[in-house]
Amino acid sequence: MTNGPAIALKDVQLSLGEGAGRVHILKGISLVIEQGTAVGLVGPSGSGKSTLLMVMAGLERADSGQAVVAGSDLSPLTEDALAQFRGANVGIIFQSFHLIPNMTALENVAVPLELAGERAAFDKARRELEAVGLGHRIHHYPAQMSGGEQQRVAVARALVVEPKILIADEPTGNLDEATGDQIVELMFKAQRERSMTLVLVTHDPTLAEQCDRVVRMRSGEIEDDASKSPAAKLEASA
Amino acid sequence: MSGFVAKPPAGLALAFRFALRELRGGLGGFYIFIACIALGVAAIAGVTSVSRALTGGISSEGQSILGGDLSFSIIHRQAAQNERAWLENLGAVSEVATLRGMARRHDGADQALVELKAVDDVYPLYGAMDLQSGVSLGDALAFHEGHWGAVADMSLLARLGLEQGDTLTIGRATVRINDVIAREPDKLTSGMEFGPRLMISQAAIPETGLIQPGSLVRWHYRLRLDGGASDSDLQTVISSARDAFPEAGWRIRSRANAAPGLQRNITRFAEFLTLVGLTALVVGGVGVANAIRAFLITKREVIASFKCLGATGGFAFKVYLIQMLFLTAVGIGIGLVVGAILPFLASAALSGVLPVTLEAAVFPQELALGLLYGVLTALAFALWPLGQAHDVPPTALFRDIVSARARRLPRKRYLIATMLTVAALAFIAISLAYDKRIAGIYIGASAAAFLLLLLVARAIMALAHNMPIVRSAELRLAIANIHRPGALTPSVVLSLGLGLSLLVALALIDGNLRRELSATIAQEAPSFFFVDIQNHEHEAFNSLLMSEAPDAQLRSVPMLRGRIVSLKGIPVSEFEAPPEAGWILRGDRGITYEAVPPENTQLPTGEWWPEDYSGEPLVSFDHEAAVELGLTIGDQITVNVLGREITATIANTRVIEWQSLSINFVLVFSPNTFAGAPHAHLMTLAWGGDVPAETELSILRTVSNTFPTITTVRVKDAISQVNDLVAQLAWAIRGASSITLIASVLVLAGALAAGHHNRIYDAVILKTLGATRWRLMFAYGLEYAILGLATAFFALMAGGLAAWFVITRIMGGSFILLPVTAASAALIALVLTVGFGLVGTWRILGEKPAPVLRNL
Repeated sequence: MTNGPAIALKDVQLSLGEGAGRVHILKGISLVIEQGTAVGLVGPSGSGKSTLLMVMAGLERADSGQAVVAGSDLSPLTEDALAQFRGANVGIIFQSFHLIPNMTALENVAVPLELAGERAAFDKARRELEAVGLGHRIHHYPAQMSGGEQQRVAVARALVVEPKILIADEPTGNLDEATGDQIVELMFKAQRERSMTLVLVTHDPTLAEQCDRVVRMRSGEIEDDASKSPAAKLEASA
Repeated sequence: MSGFVAKPPAGLALAFRFALRELRGGLGGFYIFIACIALGVAAIAGVTSVSRALTGGISSEGQSILGGDLSFSIIHRQAAQNERAWLENLGAVSEVATLRGMARRHDGADQALVELKAVDDVYPLYGAMDLQSGVSLGDALAFHEGHWGAVADMSLLARLGLEQGDTLTIGRATVRINDVIAREPDKLTSGMEFGPRLMISQAAIPETGLIQPGSLVRWHYRLRLDGGASDSDLQTVISSARDAFPEAGWRIRSRANAAPGLQRNITRFAEFLTLVGLTALVVGGVGVANAIRAFLITKREVIASFKCLGATGGFAFKVYLIQMLFLTAVGIGIGLVVGAILPFLASAALSGVLPVTLEAAVFPQELALGLLYGVLTALAFALWPLGQAHDVPPTALFRDIVSARARRLPRKRYLIATMLTVAALAFIAISLAYDKRIAGIYIGASAAAFLLLLLVARAIMALAHNMPIVRSAELRLAIANIHRPGALTPSVVLSLGLGLSLLVALALIDGNLRRELSATIAQEAPSFFFVDIQNHEHEAFNSLLMSEAPDAQLRSVPMLRGRIVSLKGIPVSEFEAPPEAGWILRGDRGITYEAVPPENTQLPTGEWWPEDYSGEPLVSFDHEAAVELGLTIGDQITVNVLGREITATIANTRVIEWQSLSINFVLVFSPNTFAGAPHAHLMTLAWGGDVPAETELSILRTVSNTFPTITTVRVKDAISQVNDLVAQLAWAIRGASSITLIASVLVLAGALAAGHHNRIYDAVILKTLGATRWRLMFAYGLEYAILGLATAFFALMAGGLAAWFVITRIMGGSFILLPVTAASAALIALVLTVGFGLVGTWRILGEKPAPVLRNL
């Protein structure tokens, strides 16, 4: 792992849409997240938290400012290089799971490893599925699994490449409370055991409370940034 | 600062693996895609395979079709003794004479133009001449009880109301019909026939009095070489014959090209039908593009997931390209199986109908052509939408986020690949065509129609978008459906428009050709051509016609047959003639001489010779043909007439209106050219307007009975023969072009299926708001009717323009827009769009709102 912060954003600006419909979404965001920290992004709908998450994952490009993630400045990377960067460094968990319907649980988890050219992709994927308690469901298709099981497959898929950064967008939004709790436990356990950086977007205050640090957004700006643990330092960039 | 270094993107093998996993979902949603490809490929592979089977059959039966290993044919004269002796020295020789004559009932009540064939005792050298009763030809043609025997096509007996055993008169001879021809082995070499076959013995010919100096009789000498000869032996014999008798003027054919004209016509016709099949593929290509677009919409999340997990845009493109190629392979496989079976089906269906056996087989080359066209068309239509998969944003996976950065056009590499594929498709179609100019025009016109229809679809959508708000809710819904995203408009206008344009163009060409033929007959064409009028009967014949038809115009010209041997000193075998002028150099042509130019003659170049001209031979040449062959005033032409080679200088070029059907010759010589040469006369009789059939038939009867050796061709009968041929060709063409329409229907059905989900949504919301099923039906019907009518209108414009071009610019005729064709096009479009649309929508309208609303 490189020294320095896991994510460093400096004066990130981003607008989407065209002409009269253009909306200024991120208005000069500066944020540093240290390695191994769990950060909760909270705020009302339309505040820009999912967009900020996408900038961190290299899914959206900032109009201006700088985004350095896992030691790499994302600005000069091409679309294809960004895809490979994500494959190697970032694990993503979505609210709607987004498993590939025509692939089994095992194949879904193996996809990022196969894309990275990993020879033992299926062995690693099997181990990861066993780790999330789905060793007996590896040959099932997403449609044959419950929502909770699908999200566990998605967690395994995000973790299998041993990413430096784990990003989660409302990971429990489509799950009942008990299942959601299991997923949250899985994520935080992995984050602690593997010293990963976790950034999650949530509307759930209980979930946010479990993070080391909570960043509150409103109208494209950081409204509040509070550390919940001595391990995490509050540090806003100038 | 950037610590990350990108690795080479994931390879083809992985893309292939991912594609296979994706295909586990089955072929559902791709049936239209597969059907579109299968249909076009089957049409192309089938047409070319059947054509190959037919031409292959002609080649392998070359000996019996030709009647020998080699055939030497001469017009006007029999082979000289030394020529015959030379041939007999090489093997067995059979002599056959063919000419046209009038066969009359013995009571003089009816007559018919027949294709007369006089054969010797050894005919046929190859193949079998089958008679219905099974007796031998020799017995059937033998002299018996005061009459020569004859055999005839059944159609002659039916035409004259005769039965087997009855007698009829041919020329001055009375022959008895002893049998009916079941199979004539060398029938295909006869070319265009104007009447049924009547076959007699050569020994009976003198009695008919039909063969006189200058008579239009062809003598054929079929040679069976001793000891079995290879094709190269045949070539050696041909060269020796040309060396030994350079001025014989005979036309030599070998068994290797027994019926070259027919084979050429089959090939050309098959090429045209292949282009029509290609159009069906292109129309189906719209369905391919639609299917891929609809498929990729459903795969948007999967593509975005791939990208979130580290896949590049190029990798996503490869995964879906492989799937598309797999589906294309399924479609092509089905098409090729159908194409491969077609020659066998055609062979079974046409056995006994055609005078040649189809050589049914699987033709890899023809199937490969279908495969090539299938792959290229699928790529041409798929690369563009597939290219858009490259840029599906990974952000598509996040709720409430729609990236405004999605590209409308795929990347440059995909645009270039699409253009290259289209260019390859056009290049292959043109380079494989016999007539590259026509193929080029066809491809150009199709491309222009495609682009035009694309613009029309956009224009209709723009027009609907900018329409002022109308009060009727149904009309408003119909208009909104025409321009909303995912509307049926582009699919319907493009696919149906293209199919309909082709159909309109073909129907208008066919209709205009027939109209022109009919109009010409009524207004300008003569009623009769009289052939083989000898000098000694010319005056009497003239008098008879003047007394029988005092108000008609008579025209008479001397007529000989000759073959062009060289142009500008270049032998015709080495002369590079464009395809459209090749007919002038093939076979023999009617030629004449005139002291003064025919009435109303236009001479774009040169001058007519003085009436008393007596210098070097001069010739007046058809202006259009001269331009096509690159001939100008002063160039020399050598013709072989009656075994003599005559070289003449072009003095002028003359405009010929072939459509007038009056006497026209490509070559008109100065009178001194043929001084003393034996020849007959050709006469026409014209009333300058329509004339009752009874009048014509009465003249035909009188002329046939009074001058039995003069051959009378009734133009109406000949035109009806031509009309029948045109009708048969038109049916084949319409059959092929209907495949295009089927492809249109498939695309239409596919587009409707793709819009199914939106329609259910609309219908449920509107029903929730109080719309009845009938009001919705009316609104949808209105939408489909507007689209159908708009498509018909533009198809009529595009098809009309194409037909106008073909009729006026290529065929040199006059063009009118036929109202019935226009109305039919509109009707077809309406029936298809409204019919299919409403059938597809009816089930949607029956959806109960509650279950759908719960799942929205």
